[in-house]
Amino acid sequence: MKVKFFASIRDCAGVKEDTVAFSGTVGELLQFLSKRYGDSFRKAVLAGDQVSDRVIILVNGRNIVHLAGTDTVLGEEDEVSIFPVVAGG
Amino acid sequence: MFGWAGTILRVNLSEGSIKKEALDLNDAKLYLGGRGLATKIMMDEVDPQVDPLSPENKLIFMTGPLTGTMAASPGRYMVIAKAPLTGTIGCANSGGHFGPELKFAGYDGIIFEGKAEKPVYLWINDDEVELRPAEHLWGKNVFETTDQLLAETAEDARVACIGPAGEKGVLFATVMNDKNRAAGRTGMGTVMGSKNLKAIVVRGTKSVAVAEPEKFKEVCTDARRKLKEHPVTGEGLRAYGTGVLVNILNQMGALPTRNWRDGGVFEHAEDISGETLAEKYLVRSKGCFGCSIGCGRLTRIPEGKFKSFGEGPEYEAEWSYGAACGVGDLAAICKANFLCNELGLDPITMGATIACAMEMYEKGILTREEVGRELKFGDAEAIVELTRMTGLREGFGDQLALGSYRLAEKYGHPELSMSVKKQEMPAYDARGVQGMGLSYATSNRGGCHVRGYMTSVEVLGIPEKLDPLVTEEKAGWLKIFQDLTAVFDSAGICLFTSFALGLPELADMLRAALGWTESNEEILKIGERIWNLERLFNLRAGFTKADDTLPPRLLKEPLPSGPAKGKVNQLEVMLKEYYQVRGWNEEGVPTEEKMAELSLR
Repeated sequence: MKVKFFASIRDCAGVKEDTVAFSGTVGELLQFLSKRYGDSFRKAVLAGDQVSDRVIILVNGRNIVHLAGTDTVLGEEDEVSIFPVVAGG
Repeated sequence: MFGWAGTILRVNLSEGSIKKEALDLNDAKLYLGGRGLATKIMMDEVDPQVDPLSPENKLIFMTGPLTGTMAASPGRYMVIAKAPLTGTIGCANSGGHFGPELKFAGYDGIIFEGKAEKPVYLWINDDEVELRPAEHLWGKNVFETTDQLLAETAEDARVACIGPAGEKGVLFATVMNDKNRAAGRTGMGTVMGSKNLKAIVVRGTKSVAVAEPEKFKEVCTDARRKLKEHPVTGEGLRAYGTGVLVNILNQMGALPTRNWRDGGVFEHAEDISGETLAEKYLVRSKGCFGCSIGCGRLTRIPEGKFKSFGEGPEYEAEWSYGAACGVGDLAAICKANFLCNELGLDPITMGATIACAMEMYEKGILTREEVGRELKFGDAEAIVELTRMTGLREGFGDQLALGSYRLAEKYGHPELSMSVKKQEMPAYDARGVQGMGLSYATSNRGGCHVRGYMTSVEVLGIPEKLDPLVTEEKAGWLKIFQDLTAVFDSAGICLFTSFALGLPELADMLRAALGWTESNEEILKIGERIWNLERLFNLRAGFTKADDTLPPRLLKEPLPSGPAKGKVNQLEVMLKEYYQVRGWNEEGVPTEEKMAELSLR
């Protein structure tokens, strides 16, 4: 599965994207990635065990808010994008 | 006088006369300032059917009561006239330092009337105001003009001016202030040029008084703390600029690509993103007067054929020159954007018009002979060269100077113009972000994102997250955004503060500055009044429900990929609901009841 990181999340991960062999939910993926990338990444994406309200997570371009949230089940072909809360215009 | 300066300058360019008039406090209370108050003056004094480039049109520079105070990001002023690009009420907002300086000189705004016989500029040095010859400045670009004017007036003055584009009648010319800040959309610089008005130079040494200084300090400190603590206004915009949006819109499949023809996924999005700009070319961030956000970009292209230095680009320009033209060369995009600043061009309309011409060329509607070169999507040199040629109206640039609608219409293909009311839409594909389509269609100044920024709720989740692919709830949310935005604009503070601040914080600042006791709801009602007044202007100018629409491409051609694959914009459903929510009849006309409710009768 491909995971892409953007803006300040990219700085925390240290890479623009990663390919991970993973099966499970979005919540479990964030825990998995936090172990891989360490504390600064964990602090950026998680608030305790919950997903931080300061990140936007897309699965195949759809915000997980409109899917099953952190319970959204991921497959091998899915693409996950993780952004900090951003805005502009 | 608190908040407002209390004086408006009226400059008749035909007569060469300058008058100082007392601010109409009744109107100021109903319309606040900036966009609202200036539109009220337009409605009272100008026939909405006037030719925008005739002396009978007026050009109004107007600040708000919070401009130049210690409120959050209080550097804004607006330029209002009937717009040459759209034929609607025209209105463009800018930051920098010019607006506050005008307040410090003791003026809320300036009304320009008529047309000068020869080029002039207005020099405001506190109480001393005079028109001066500007023939020696005619033809100079924005930077040259600004430097020359500072040299011949005062080095600590502030300058708003036009470049060659405004002089030569390019229909989307900007008013530029402090060199790189733009009152960008609808062609306000074109109106300024039509009046032979090259510039306004202002120097002010006074301050803006507020009604309750201690309370004002308290609520402004609270607002500034919230800006600092919010991830967008406290961190993201400073680090990456507005271009941070490129990747998220692209991942959502809503970054309009190659004149919106190829859907919403651009293969070079990463190359033109705010992240890449920060990594490769950003010198530092830059804020306007009293702003802690600092979204501005100071940018240097160190080498190569696009070697240059300037400010920007913002998200919309990264898109218009980038994805819309199929160009993935960020250096070329920066260079083209810098040229817009120098020549006084709106980079949204400029890039989008080149994109339209590229599609016309690829379809064989435009020939190499007419254009004077190849013009295929992806041509980085073309976006730079055609921008220069448009600003100077050289060769094919003379055609591009009309904007995409008039260009495409001239060749019998208006459907290839991605515009609403003849103004080019910005960087959010309304097939993938449904509410943005309603926002474009109903914007009182034509295709535009900052009249009701539905992206905030549909993409970013601020203040809450709505599904971008459905139509439910969009009309109601859009009305709130449109009304609230009108209050932000008219107050004189930056719209970007609204990512962290809402109506309560804005209303607190206004109440303390003006000594008001009005409720939050009454203050929001000012925004609704402004929105309806703008609508009335447009209706009297001849616009109808039929103009509240989108290009056929968005209504008939489904997106080919991404989460919104197969979707078109469901405008009809949303528009019907929108008229109801607005209290307008089925033809989109405010009802008598609504007019009475808003004191518009």
